[in-house]
Amino acid sequence: MTATLLVTGAGGVGKTTIAASIAVTAARNGLRTLVVTVDPARRLASALGVEDLGDEPQPHDTEPSLWAAMLDSSASWRAVAIRHAAPEVAERLADNEFFRAASEHFPASQSYAAADQAATFVQAKAWDLVVVDTPPSGGGIDFFAAPAQMADLVGGRLLRWITGGPLPGRRFFYDRAAKPMLRIADSVLGSDLLERVAEFLVDLRTTYDGVARRGREIESVMRSASIIVITTADPAPVREAVRFYRELPNLASTPEAVIFNRALPNEWSKQSSSPGLSAEMNSVVEMWSAETVRQRDTREGFSARYGATVATVPWSTDPPTDLDRLASLVGNAVGIPWSNLGIDISP
Amino acid sequence: MERGGWRTRSTHPDWLTIISLLDKRLVIVSGKGGVGKSAVSAGLALLAQRNGLRVLAVEMGTGGGLSTHFSTGPLQFKPREVRPGLHALHIVRSEALLEYLSMQLRLPGMGRFGPVARAFDALATAAPAIREIITIGKILWEVREDRWDVVIADAPPTGQIGSYLRAPLSITELVPSGRIRDQSAWMAETLADPKITQVALVTIPEELPATETLETIEWLTSEQLTPPAAVVGNRILKRLNDDATPDGKAGQIASLHRSLWTEQQEWLDRLPVDIAVPYMFGLFTPGEVAAHMADELEAGMGAMK
Repeated sequence: MTATLLVTGAGGVGKTTIAASIAVTAARNGLRTLVVTVDPARRLASALGVEDLGDEPQPHDTEPSLWAAMLDSSASWRAVAIRHAAPEVAERLADNEFFRAASEHFPASQSYAAADQAATFVQAKAWDLVVVDTPPSGGGIDFFAAPAQMADLVGGRLLRWITGGPLPGRRFFYDRAAKPMLRIADSVLGSDLLERVAEFLVDLRTTYDGVARRGREIESVMRSASIIVITTADPAPVREAVRFYRELPNLASTPEAVIFNRALPNEWSKQSSSPGLSAEMNSVVEMWSAETVRQRDTREGFSARYGATVATVPWSTDPPTDLDRLASLVGNAVGIPWSNLGIDISP
Repeated sequence: MERGGWRTRSTHPDWLTIISLLDKRLVIVSGKGGVGKSAVSAGLALLAQRNGLRVLAVEMGTGGGLSTHFSTGPLQFKPREVRPGLHALHIVRSEALLEYLSMQLRLPGMGRFGPVARAFDALATAAPAIREIITIGKILWEVREDRWDVVIADAPPTGQIGSYLRAPLSITELVPSGRIRDQSAWMAETLADPKITQVALVTIPEELPATETLETIEWLTSEQLTPPAAVVGNRILKRLNDDATPDGKAGQIASLHRSLWTEQQEWLDRLPVDIAVPYMFGLFTPGEVAAHMADELEAGMGAMK
């Protein structure tokens, strides 16, 4: 049985680093662990040994139970759609300019590909734990919504209206009903834009069954996964974290915990100015004390409002250049509900 | 004072000190997630408003970042006056699409549930350049209006901004002729016009945001879709000149401050920061942050001059 941990949150809060830190910790506690990472900083990639790797999991050089893989950020649902299309349709799709444009720019495209790839690793049953760092596109929630969005895209109500009826590949309705309408609109616009897009949608529609089936598999992997939300105490990422707490119960499951990264020690909050220090030093101390109070109030507010388990990772200026430093990041954390994540931390 | 591109202009004695960014008709604010993009957008809008400009602030994404900084509750598609002289709106794609079809393309019979509207909606879902051009088009039509001196757009993160800026060109490549093509060409020109458009990139001097900012500048320069970006450096720490190391908590605080400052300097050496905004300690509400941001941007722009 492979446990899955999805690590999500706004961009720029240390999500990738904390996901890696959790994975190293789990590996060192005896779990065969795969960490799937997205766009790691150079030093982190080097510590994990994924600098030059593609999307195939690679065992770590020095850490026996640790594997790492990098999500292929150029992968898209284009590959997925083509995989589920009949050969002659696949050929038409691959040549269609709108399909190419769509697969490059569809914001959920990378999220879908990432979710698909992550689900594949989980289904391989080769690891005890798969830790997935989710891509931040679309506020991160896209990763969870992408499978359903993908099915909507190829089977949604509007598309059914254009392509007619639930039967895949049925062009009759399109030719008889929708096409003349689009021609009128196109003649007003002075191009065959709508008609060309619709032709592409009719082809895409035939992939619906395959795409929807895969989407359900991915969703079921996500529903059985544990989720951790990473944030800092700053307003923008906290807003994102709130969104995860509101929306994830419907899309996947309720997060196990929210981890506030870059936490300042609570005892800094009661710092009064001292006569032995310079005015400059006193003012710096006062500013960081105010920041500590703000952080603490933000965490307490979040916990009270959403009933969330709140953990903290101290603000570290030490870059994670090796696995020991990486592990110490969550090693110094307070409040992570390890046992709920399926990780037994030995004392 | 009459300047190119401005049809009407309020004259405020302090205006000459507010230069560069607000000198344009359109400021597109982007940056890596979490760097304070919405706070800077709101701060710029408040600063312009304080100086007597008629301002439209546009929330492009779904995060609600801009509205919380104005403390006004969710924004709608219809512009709402959130401060005297400052309006704000949130681009709702379905409404922008209808407006685009009926007002800009002047297609007949545009009900929400009309067949052509439905076809377009399906199309906008599936062909993303079209979805993005509806958003960017809405902004550019507002820029063309006489109602606003400056439009400030709180844009999606740098990872997605490229597809928005590129959308008009993508459409002109896909559509050989006709009304959509003509309008896309006009949009592409407007975005590329340095007298009208300015992209502001918000960043903080840390590895990932700084790297992404440098990459974005390089991309914007090579693609020539818009004029070179202005960089707003956020959360900049002041140097601690006192080099004492006190005992206890004060010493820990001084040590954290120094090591963060050192790391920031490393990135500030490489980042072409035009406006530096100091770290705001202990501020609680987004409204407070936005008001302080306006002060700091004003100070920063003064320094820029």
